[in-house]
Amino acid sequence: MRSKKDKKPTILWFQGVTCNGNTHSFFNLTNLEQLLNHFEILYHPSQQSTLTFDAITDCKEEADIFIFEGAYDPSMKRNDVLISDILEYYAKHAKYIIGAGSCASFGGIFKASAPKRNSGLIFNEEKHYGPLLAYSQKVINLSGCPMHPEWMGYTLRMIANNQEIEVDELHRPIELYSNLAHHGCARNEYFEWKVDADNFGEKEGCLFYKQGCRAPMTHASCNKILWNEVSSKTRAGTPCFGCTEPGFPRLDFFTTKTNMSIPADVPLGISKRSYLTLSAIAKTFHIKRLEGKLIDYKKTH
Amino acid sequence: MITKKLIDRIEGEASIYFDKNGDKVKFSTIAFPHFRGMESILKGKNALDALVITPRVCGICGHAHLMAAVRAIEDAYKNAEHKIKLNDKIETIREFTLIMEMIQNHFKWIYLTIIPQLSKLAISSKTQTPLKGAFAASIATKAIATFAGQWPHSSYMVPGGITCDPTNIDTLKVQSYLNELIGFFEKESLDISLEKFLSFKSCKEFEGLEGDIFDIEKNLFKTEMHNKGFSYDRFIVLGAHQFTKPSKLKKTRPFPINAKYVSTIDSYSPKEHSYAKNAQYKNNFYEVGPLARTMAINLPIIKNMHRRFKDSAYSRVMSRIFELAYLLKYSKTLLKSLDISEDSFVKSVNISKISTQGIGVVEAPRGPLMHAVSLENGIIKSYKIVTPTQYNIGSSTEKNPTPAQKAMIGVSQEEALFIFRTFDVCSVCTTH
Repeated sequence: MRSKKDKKPTILWFQGVTCNGNTHSFFNLTNLEQLLNHFEILYHPSQQSTLTFDAITDCKEEADIFIFEGAYDPSMKRNDVLISDILEYYAKHAKYIIGAGSCASFGGIFKASAPKRNSGLIFNEEKHYGPLLAYSQKVINLSGCPMHPEWMGYTLRMIANNQEIEVDELHRPIELYSNLAHHGCARNEYFEWKVDADNFGEKEGCLFYKQGCRAPMTHASCNKILWNEVSSKTRAGTPCFGCTEPGFPRLDFFTTKTNMSIPADVPLGISKRSYLTLSAIAKTFHIKRLEGKLIDYKKTH
Repeated sequence: MITKKLIDRIEGEASIYFDKNGDKVKFSTIAFPHFRGMESILKGKNALDALVITPRVCGICGHAHLMAAVRAIEDAYKNAEHKIKLNDKIETIREFTLIMEMIQNHFKWIYLTIIPQLSKLAISSKTQTPLKGAFAASIATKAIATFAGQWPHSSYMVPGGITCDPTNIDTLKVQSYLNELIGFFEKESLDISLEKFLSFKSCKEFEGLEGDIFDIEKNLFKTEMHNKGFSYDRFIVLGAHQFTKPSKLKKTRPFPINAKYVSTIDSYSPKEHSYAKNAQYKNNFYEVGPLARTMAINLPIIKNMHRRFKDSAYSRVMSRIFELAYLLKYSKTLLKSLDISEDSFVKSVNISKISTQGIGVVEAPRGPLMHAVSLENGIIKSYKIVTPTQYNIGSSTEKNPTPAQKAMIGVSQEEALFIFRTFDVCSVCTTH
């Protein structure tokens, strides 16, 4: 038995149907070691831990923070123990339950592979459903495919500091998910003046009109808290795929569905009519500066 | 009597069933118990969706999946008489980020898997520093993200190119990450310079050296791993890259290779249902991964190791470490050759015009990764993925064991568990 004198909050990181993407995303966290010093790791799939996996599936210890990565598959067994029994035991004793990534939050990719069976912990897409409904009030969802390392870093630091984490209706921390992925996008001016990107591989142009970008409809702080501290999808010219939202994965990631040459899905909270009016006006202006190349290396070389 | 051992601290989870003769392993079967069904998600979707879905097969080598997917789609373009000619800039950036993913993988494997497991086996009391591996990996992934937007799960490669259009600000930043990474490896892992390490031609030159890497080397000897873990001593490299050479090797003799001879068969796992299939080349088992790749390019130190210790667990571990060093140096040269004035994207016909099949093969951290796609009007009719772990760690019969099964015969169970991990197991890829 562990000593009661050890006051550090304990973490148990447990996996369902997963690709390990959230585990590896978390390893990118700056000051990871400093953060982990605040906690005792009872079990983590790839780090040295206090307990063995056998001890975890025995369900005799308790963890303060129960982190679950991956989709919930009711038929899944870990070490011959039904995963629902394991979840029930640790959820009951934990102070916090963290759904790491979109699979644990809403079902995500691994719901798509078994749509009638798999789900998230307390949501099946946006519908309340899942094995831990009885413990909903303890659940914090860090959706994202994968979740951003800083989002987990923030959540654990808040817990270590005894600060309260306010969540939205999908149980995601408001401080992390009140933004849209669009906020801070380096292509915002092109969005404002409705100048689309002709092709991939260009610094110029907005990806919302043709390339399928979902940043104006996606709650995420990817362009505010940069990925790997350096960039984001849209900064690298890749459209946002909306991976933090319950509907992920959608279809046709690289194409924008349009209605009368206007995106069928308009920015969150804007009426289609207002958006259509605004776009029609913006498109009548031809702004030379926004139509040319920002830098032409071929000329300067 | 058969004993079951659950294997964690690999990528995912596996079970090994040991059949022992006294305390030595007579035979073992391996099961990967979790179904994931990625290929089925892809059916009926737009081909480009594979660029988003398939990286999510694996959290540690998703970038290799992205590149295999984009190569498969570009191969379908070629087969439809719409060949896309990629320029050097596109090829260089793709190759660079793929190599960085390999480097982050090898760092994590050294510090999070090999050192802890080997220390246990060698009864070493040295303080462990697993987070060194995570830290080094995080520098490599910053370099990836500068071009690819993020890591894990980037989708920045598209048929015809890449989505980013980097400036010198980006390439200089990547250069400094690479220098930081090399500095870290020299100071924290080697305790000598990278150049010096890469100049070694014989294992005898390791004598008297102190860094983490040389501790590993000493412990491999201490645990007799140079006399254990032998497999078939035949290898394949399938992915076309500048840093290695596609070939089939029987001992050291190279033969030509063609991905069309890759096939998969059901695994033999009588004790537990396994969702993994075994991969073969011309109906035979071959070892894949860093040992194969460094043998294929005749790296002098690896040739020396192989001459002395064949395909032992020692050679398998050390080749992965040397590959890491070799790739650090190689990626510096690669980055220097990058000309950012070229286009990032070559326009071609819309994917809806493509109704053919395509195969994309890359070398992932653990070996060849193959994606085969069949398209009708740009929609996926079928998608098949064959991963490196399926070659190395399938489960077959006692008469015809897979490379990992063969390598575990005749050693103690504890040794077998270490030898199993020298292949760098990825269960999540295997049960895609």
